[in-house]
Amino acid sequence: MKFILELAAKNLLRYKRRTIITSIAIAMGLMMYIFVDSLLMGANLESMRNLKWYETASLRVHKESYWEERMFLPLESSIGDPEAVLDLLAKKGIAATERTVFTADMILYQDDFGEDGNMTVQVTAINPETDFSVYRFKDTLLEGRFLQKGEMDGVVLGSWFAEDIGAKVGYWVTFVTRGKGGFYEAFDMQIVGIVNCPNPNVNRTLVMMDKDAADLYLGMEGAVTSIDILLPEKSNLASVSKTLQADLASIDPQLRVFTWEDLAHDYLALLQAKQGGTGLILFLVFIIAAVGVSNTMLMAMFERMREIGMMRAMGMKDRDILFSFLFEAGGIGLVGSLVGVLLGVLANLYLVNVGFDFGFMFRDMDIGFRIQNVMRGAWSIATIAKAFFSGIGLSMLVAIFPIRRALKLDIPTCLHHQ
Amino acid sequence: MSKPVVKLLLTLSLLCIIPSFLFALTGEEVIQKMDEMATFETSVSTGSIKTTDRFGTKISTFKAWARGASDSLIEFTSTAERGQKILRTQSSLYLFYPDAEELIRLQGAALRQSVLGSDLSYEDMTEEKNTLDSYTVVLEGSEIVNGHDCHVLTLTAKKRTVAYPVQKIWVDKQTYLVWKAEYSTAQKRLLKVMEVLSTVEVAGRTLPSETKIEDKMKRDSATWMTLDSLEVNVPLGANIFSLENLTW
Amino acid sequence: MTIKLPAVAFRNIFRNFRRSMLSAIAIAVSAMAIMALLALLEAMESDMATNLVSYYTGEVRIRHESFEQYERYNPLHLSLDMDEVLPLVEKQEGVRAATERINFPANLYLNGKNNAALGVGVDFASEEAFIDFPSLVKEGRLPTEGSNEMLIGALLARDLHLNLGDKVTVLTSTALRGSNAMTFQIVGIASFPVGGLNAKVLYVPLDRAQYLLRMEGQVQEILLLTEDGYKERDVAASVKELLQTELSLQTETKAWKDLNAMYSLLSIAKFIYYVMGAIFFLLGSTVIINTTMMVIYERMREIGTLGALGMQGKELTRLFLLEGSFISIIGSTLGTIAGLIIVFILSKVGLNFTEAMSGVDMEISSILYPQVNFFIALFVWVYAIIIASLSTLIPSRRASKIQIVEALRYV
Repeated sequence: MKFILELAAKNLLRYKRRTIITSIAIAMGLMMYIFVDSLLMGANLESMRNLKWYETASLRVHKESYWEERMFLPLESSIGDPEAVLDLLAKKGIAATERTVFTADMILYQDDFGEDGNMTVQVTAINPETDFSVYRFKDTLLEGRFLQKGEMDGVVLGSWFAEDIGAKVGYWVTFVTRGKGGFYEAFDMQIVGIVNCPNPNVNRTLVMMDKDAADLYLGMEGAVTSIDILLPEKSNLASVSKTLQADLASIDPQLRVFTWEDLAHDYLALLQAKQGGTGLILFLVFIIAAVGVSNTMLMAMFERMREIGMMRAMGMKDRDILFSFLFEAGGIGLVGSLVGVLLGVLANLYLVNVGFDFGFMFRDMDIGFRIQNVMRGAWSIATIAKAFFSGIGLSMLVAIFPIRRALKLDIPTCLHHQ
Repeated sequence: MSKPVVKLLLTLSLLCIIPSFLFALTGEEVIQKMDEMATFETSVSTGSIKTTDRFGTKISTFKAWARGASDSLIEFTSTAERGQKILRTQSSLYLFYPDAEELIRLQGAALRQSVLGSDLSYEDMTEEKNTLDSYTVVLEGSEIVNGHDCHVLTLTAKKRTVAYPVQKIWVDKQTYLVWKAEYSTAQKRLLKVMEVLSTVEVAGRTLPSETKIEDKMKRDSATWMTLDSLEVNVPLGANIFSLENLTW
Repeated sequence: MTIKLPAVAFRNIFRNFRRSMLSAIAIAVSAMAIMALLALLEAMESDMATNLVSYYTGEVRIRHESFEQYERYNPLHLSLDMDEVLPLVEKQEGVRAATERINFPANLYLNGKNNAALGVGVDFASEEAFIDFPSLVKEGRLPTEGSNEMLIGALLARDLHLNLGDKVTVLTSTALRGSNAMTFQIVGIASFPVGGLNAKVLYVPLDRAQYLLRMEGQVQEILLLTEDGYKERDVAASVKELLQTELSLQTETKAWKDLNAMYSLLSIAKFIYYVMGAIFFLLGSTVIINTTMMVIYERMREIGTLGALGMQGKELTRLFLLEGSFISIIGSTLGTIAGLIIVFILSKVGLNFTEAMSGVDMEISSILYPQVNFFIALFVWVYAIIIASLSTLIPSRRASKIQIVEALRYV
């Protein structure tokens, strides 16, 4: 056996060019497969992340009655004792933050905006100290600054929204809203920051203020409309939400845990949808790569007929010949797969961290608003491993065919082979 | 006139005057009187609502029935919304649309929507006329409004379920008509102003016949309510404020 | 030495038939996969364009001049007079079809709760050129003009547990800034190829929408399709001018490509498709290059022999180039034909994404029908030949320069 392995290794080195070309075929195929998969998965992950990072979090706790009336964002159905829930979550080591969401009429003034106006907006009141541990607004700041804890008169807007209404940092607006119970309240707020949130839905509508300020203005007396929870990416949402649901019952039996899938059930379908086209494209990539690998390998092996004939003439056992060539093919596959995975990882590194910026396409186009314009990849160990092993496996599998054929022919024919 | 008689008259008149000095009208009494004046056993009225906003002006006409402080029914008669009805009973508010086969019940936050795009919300329109339940009253003094001597009162909401945390009202000392009202937030931020532009006398009481309501937060936004006719204490059908009646 | 190089090259193909076959197959499969992918991407793109045009904007959209400015207030009163505008634009040169619509936010009042939906009042007859309603109806039929009937998206019906025959009260704001409600009966459930619509839209007859919204004779927008050979932008400009001169009516009349949000959606999709296409070309090219290079390198001895027989370097290069070209022509032709056949079959059968696509907002149809595009076929055919032929150059030029003795020693 040792001899066979050595022979295979020697052969690999002896036919350097052949090894290189075949390896390149494998490497390119693998790299492209990893690349395309990353790109397609990245698009999926991106929308999922955009949803979780900026809109829904992983889990959310609401009062049951709130969920039923959620279209009206009823402050009356809020969580009375958020501290108890937050403490419970903190003890379990789960990142959570409290939020209060309400609708308000936002009044714009001529002095700043050039024209008086008003519009209904949805205001999200956050706890600036803990919100970043659940949501990712920290990296999205475009202009100005973020909210401070207890800040009474600062708001942060999404950049598309700000662009839409012509808002700039420093402008004043007034919010007219109804507090918990229904009383009117009005308060002036200054735009202190503008964030460019990668989630277009949020970027188009976001108005954010401090939770303590909202608490005071809306008479919430410590209550919040939701507690938003971030779980690590790979956690089992269903089981966590189930245990959490049971734990929450001791605090308030009316509390319900909703997963982000509940919160955004429309979007979920979208993710599945992309998978349809993705599968097809990946399949086509696989076909080309597989044909490339197998053809090159077939050719490399067929060219070795004479060598096989020689080895047989010298009395080497068929089984040993088969193994030595199989190991050689496996060796080529290994080299190709290693290089391919390496290249794929490198390309992916760029794709995940930098991404394709297609903003240039819109630079000269008057589209009225900015577009989420970077296409990013995603890591998938499974894909890389799959690619690696199928690279080796396919090489060996393909090699079997020409070798067995050579072994079936009689020795003189083999030796005469062109 | 004999001296003793003069004496007696003087004493009597003094007796009559003294109580009014000793027990000057309190804010609560003014409000009670005001609510009394505005509430009838029953009433039937017709009128119109004129609304202006950024897109222009529109007028809707209506006929309204009311009983006591809590039951009311409004039916719109203008072409655009002919046949639409709003029924308010003790606990609920229902909308009837002639082309809809079911009644729409408004509750909670939905009540805050504006009526026909005006500066009135459904809850404004059907507000309970039991002011003292919801507000504490302070009598601030008197002022002349449109030539009428008025009590000036500040009402502060007792509970959060009341739309306007602070109201400042000017109540006519003679007729107890509210000539003007300013609705504000708890921080005294002016939200809406109501002014009575003209009045009508019905059953010995003076009632507003034309009222202007301005939304102070929005420019060019105002609503005028005009009463064309008002009959009070007329007998109304027993079931006029019932759901069954709503769908005829 | 004067031999006919093409003849030799041609003979060489058959001398080692298996090798030639493998090389040709590599080229063929690459060409075929690229063909299939391009057709798929093109289908996705054109499908998206068609859907935008059919369901949202038409090729030219006419609206009241200030509608867009106040769009957030839902200004239904900023409308167009249907009887005035429609006959005029229909006769305009370059206009193939016209239809009128009213989009309105609709609250479906069910069991005491409001559910948000998007209502559209349409003239089912003139929609024919835009939305092919009859083929979309899954259950029931189309609403008839003049009756309170609605056609509802399948997903919306499913989400709200609505069935054929159910009555739903639709609550909305009118053009007169009042509110109104009307009860409609569900007479049809339709499966729209655009997932985003499926989950939120309901179509009612235009006249009922006008009645509900108090827009007698008025419509929110008029959509046009242009005749072949006319540019959408030109038609938009001429219609705008026509309305201005004939009716002194200022309108916002724009070609769909100038309606920013819609077009940028398409641009993003296009970009993603270009990236995919580029990756495929790259991968296809490496496969072709690798196989071809392999073929040449494996024949070093042969090259040595030919050299020993006195063949010139240049001739050698040309010989292999010719041989490579022949193989690539065969491979490319086979691949392109196979690709064409696949696309042809798909164009008849369709690629069904229905289950997967429910709720998608990217405006891609659930069933795609890639179209046979001979331009793409020609392009791929030429591309594969050129890549394959060029890639023979590198090894064969090297081979021609190699020492004869060394080449002969080559195993």
